[in-house]
Amino acid sequence: MINLRDKGAAIWENWSRTKRIIFVVIAITIVAFMPYAGEFGPTSFLNTPISSYQAVLVYPIALFVLMGLGLNIVVGKSGLLDLGYVAFFAIGAYTMGIMGTMTSLNTWEILPFGIFFAMLAGLLLGLPALRLRGDYLAIVTLGFGEIVRIVALNLEVTGGPNGVVGVPNPPPILGQKFELDDHAAYFWVILVMILLVIWMVRRFTVRRPGRAWEAIRQDEDVAALMGVNLLVYKLWSFTIGAAVGGAGGVIYASKTMFIAPDMFTFNTSILVLACVVFGGLGNIWGVILGASILGYLPERIRFISNARQLVFGLVLLIIMNVRPDGLLPRKKREKIKQKVVK
Amino acid sequence: MNKKIQRSLAVVSAAALVFGVSAVTSATAAQKTVYLAFQAPLTGPNALTGQDELTGAKFALSEYNATNPAVKVELVLADDQGLAEVAAVVAPGIASNKKIIGLIGPAFSGATQASLPAYKASGLAMISMSATRVSLTDKKAPVNGFPIFKRVVANDKYQGPALARYAIKGVTAPSVYLVDDKTAYGKGLADYTSPSLKGKIAGTDSVPENTSDYTSVVAKVKASGANVVIYCGYAPDAAKFVKALRDGGYTGIFASGDGTLKATFPNNAGNTAAEGSRLTAADVPFEDVATAAQMVAYTKLTGIKVPGTYVTSTYNATNIFLECIKQGKVSRPGIQGCLTNGTFKGVAGDTIKFDRYGDIIGGAAVGAFTIKAGKIVYVAVA
Amino acid sequence: MNLQVLSSQFWSLCLQGVALGFIYVLISLGYTMVYGVLRLINFANSEVFMIGTFATVVAQVGILNNQTNSQPLHGFRLVYTLLFALVFSMLVSGILGVLVELVAYRRLRALGTNRLASLISAIAVSIVLLETTRIITFSRPQTSPRLLDKWSFGEVAGANFRIDTVMVIVSGIIIFFVLDRFVTKTRLGKAIRAVSMSEENSKLMGINLNRVVSLTFFIGGLTTGAAAFFYTTVYETTQFNVGFNLGLAAFTAAVLGGIGNLRGAFYGGIFLGVLEQFASAILGSQWKSVTVFLVLVLVLLLKPNGIFGEAVQQTRT
Repeated sequence: MINLRDKGAAIWENWSRTKRIIFVVIAITIVAFMPYAGEFGPTSFLNTPISSYQAVLVYPIALFVLMGLGLNIVVGKSGLLDLGYVAFFAIGAYTMGIMGTMTSLNTWEILPFGIFFAMLAGLLLGLPALRLRGDYLAIVTLGFGEIVRIVALNLEVTGGPNGVVGVPNPPPILGQKFELDDHAAYFWVILVMILLVIWMVRRFTVRRPGRAWEAIRQDEDVAALMGVNLLVYKLWSFTIGAAVGGAGGVIYASKTMFIAPDMFTFNTSILVLACVVFGGLGNIWGVILGASILGYLPERIRFISNARQLVFGLVLLIIMNVRPDGLLPRKKREKIKQKVVK
Repeated sequence: MNKKIQRSLAVVSAAALVFGVSAVTSATAAQKTVYLAFQAPLTGPNALTGQDELTGAKFALSEYNATNPAVKVELVLADDQGLAEVAAVVAPGIASNKKIIGLIGPAFSGATQASLPAYKASGLAMISMSATRVSLTDKKAPVNGFPIFKRVVANDKYQGPALARYAIKGVTAPSVYLVDDKTAYGKGLADYTSPSLKGKIAGTDSVPENTSDYTSVVAKVKASGANVVIYCGYAPDAAKFVKALRDGGYTGIFASGDGTLKATFPNNAGNTAAEGSRLTAADVPFEDVATAAQMVAYTKLTGIKVPGTYVTSTYNATNIFLECIKQGKVSRPGIQGCLTNGTFKGVAGDTIKFDRYGDIIGGAAVGAFTIKAGKIVYVAVA
Repeated sequence: MNLQVLSSQFWSLCLQGVALGFIYVLISLGYTMVYGVLRLINFANSEVFMIGTFATVVAQVGILNNQTNSQPLHGFRLVYTLLFALVFSMLVSGILGVLVELVAYRRLRALGTNRLASLISAIAVSIVLLETTRIITFSRPQTSPRLLDKWSFGEVAGANFRIDTVMVIVSGIIIFFVLDRFVTKTRLGKAIRAVSMSEENSKLMGINLNRVVSLTFFIGGLTTGAAAFFYTTVYETTQFNVGFNLGLAAFTAAVLGGIGNLRGAFYGGIFLGVLEQFASAILGSQWKSVTVFLVLVLVLLLKPNGIFGEAVQQTRT
């Protein structure tokens, strides 16, 4: 099977530093202009029928990419199956919703709180749950995701089923306003966050935590034997993943100005996980591609309204069976290692 | 099939999906066609409500287009799955499509709340057929729908007390057990029902929608000794609940709101369980108010014999837009002015005029219904 | 907190919980059988259940021509109708289970790829099943006629022994017993246990792996289909989205008892049914799921492999 990931990596490794910098700058520029692609002649086929292309670009696409990258740290890098990732997104969103309506703090000041509470939740869940193995972790995280939603549904402070209304938009940065219609501005903010996460993940991967995660993913017992402190490194990966989800939630609440428990269902967790696996487990570029496609596809095929979700399911099924390692699988090198271990 | 063929098949089908459509969507509209958007859940777990409502809109439109009008009207289907997060993506798209001059919907209050900012910014008038949350037309609410939001359905502030009155009517020493379904609709209705029952409430419970087993609630109802049970939620769950109550030996009154007033409710509840239930609604069953000829045409168009909930209100909402279009109002501001100042007729012959914040003046009448021999029967105004 | 309900309804809640629990038991056998053999969560099982409930309605209304408003049946006709619907639902679900394996797992298993791909593939299949049913049924709930007159054997300490409650419990015990004997005593059952212990070794021993896996999915489908029949007979209504909540509960039950372990699914299901009843009665129905998951976490902390530990091979008599 063709592995575009390896080809890309090979080309990248042969480039000089200047070439790399030029490529990165050009790539980021192109992506930054994506909000305008829907109106621009040759790329106007990207435009979505019925829903707003620019809004779709922010949610689901950009936020799915962000969440996908966060979840990838947990599932892809350290091999922990998390089926309740939406919980951290919800915690970030509710932090923004409640603090935004009750205090005079603005979005940028609340962002650290959102990240902090998501990490705290990750820690509290992780401490007991990460002692469990494989599928037990999956069901406990699934349950946690449901608990967060149900608690939000049952409490007064979260507005119960009515949710939080009138969440403020962020204040301007450098003169760029964040009104409801400024989808592009939100897209750029999330783009910056995505770049930060990519940078962070790449740093981690080549340093101690990354190696520890890799060891845990390949074989827990061997990793423990080699002196990797399983719980500590699992907690690291879990809380960092949670932080990314929480940050996404804060921006999301601030953009839609309204949040309610039914935005944070099990379906979203599954969708984000599907993005990761569909794109290429453990590979940043695969996750980005997968999240873009799975976020975009249901909106693009809106014209078949009734059968939309059905077609989505079929596409997911076909692609998973044709490319089980995802569209852009992780490095061959890592896979070979896996075989040796086996 | 070998791998290569499989792979190319997948690519081809994906490509067809993505590119084949541009032909469909970019087909330019014929002259003198205006568009109305219809926003409701058409897929996903809440699809039933939206699909039912859609039949009302389609039927009103087919009647209108059959008269060969000067301006043709077409529907743009905006599926929001009843979810606020999807609505938040759909609404800006509808708002920026200038060909759309009015919006029927959204069906759900949460989705409405999430859609409002986008529609307000672009001045798109909307008439909801089933969003009953009080705050949408409350001038004190932090985010209300003024000036673009109208609704043809009584909000919970009217329906709640009416439901309470009707449920305990003629009961000596009423003792009420109040159950909601934990949705924005059910909880909202329950919150406006309970104040009218002060001192008469024996207990409350919130049973999340789609619960299958109601026996524990039945046990609580029996233990509390209540003789009136009020359920605030939708028909499928109400049917399961009332059946469990009767099977569990409860003999008191069962009452519920417009979410339950659906012709399929007595049927879903089984032969006798729903008998005598007291139901209130701002919505009247369509088959009760439509003429026989209309019903025949409706069934022919939609393939559905018994219309679901909110078909009447959707039909009314659509007709109000069509009335404005007939008057030559084919722009967003035109429609907005027409809705604010106009007086309209509902299918039942009732007069519809909106107040400043978008509710029907005098409140849409709340009807009282009961179930006799498996059929919903209109009793009086509650 | 509502403790007063306990004084008069304690035994009633217990009985209803056990009856509900047996439906969970039958569904969770579908999860546990597959997990035991493939070490995979069969996420499509909840939709297999959903299709089973519709199969029951089809058998009763479509094939045997009972109308939705028809009177309860008696005597031979009643027994025949119930048995036919049960068998029909079991077969449809069993065959669907095999198809799910063919479509979602077979190819991925042959490639020996990561388990997450299979998970997503199974989820995709369940989306397809769910949406197809939704479109076919116009999203409307379907009612199953009351063919079984729900008379009561009598009340003991407030617990009402109604015919359908008793039927679910008795049939549940029988089905579980048969399955347990099948897995422990017969040749095919031993093959299933062998595969669950070691795929490689059982291949060496000449076991046709694909056939055993198909058989496992078929049996899982059969019990899930039986659950679907009992569910439809007790609650008399179904809808396209009925699978998710029940599937999740059944899966939780399987994990509670120790996934992959038949006995575990049995006790886990009953425990969960009773727990749910008491949680909703005492704390309020809105806290039911939260209670269930908190108990699950607690149990897993004390017994990391569930109450009865993992794997089919441990089910020795």
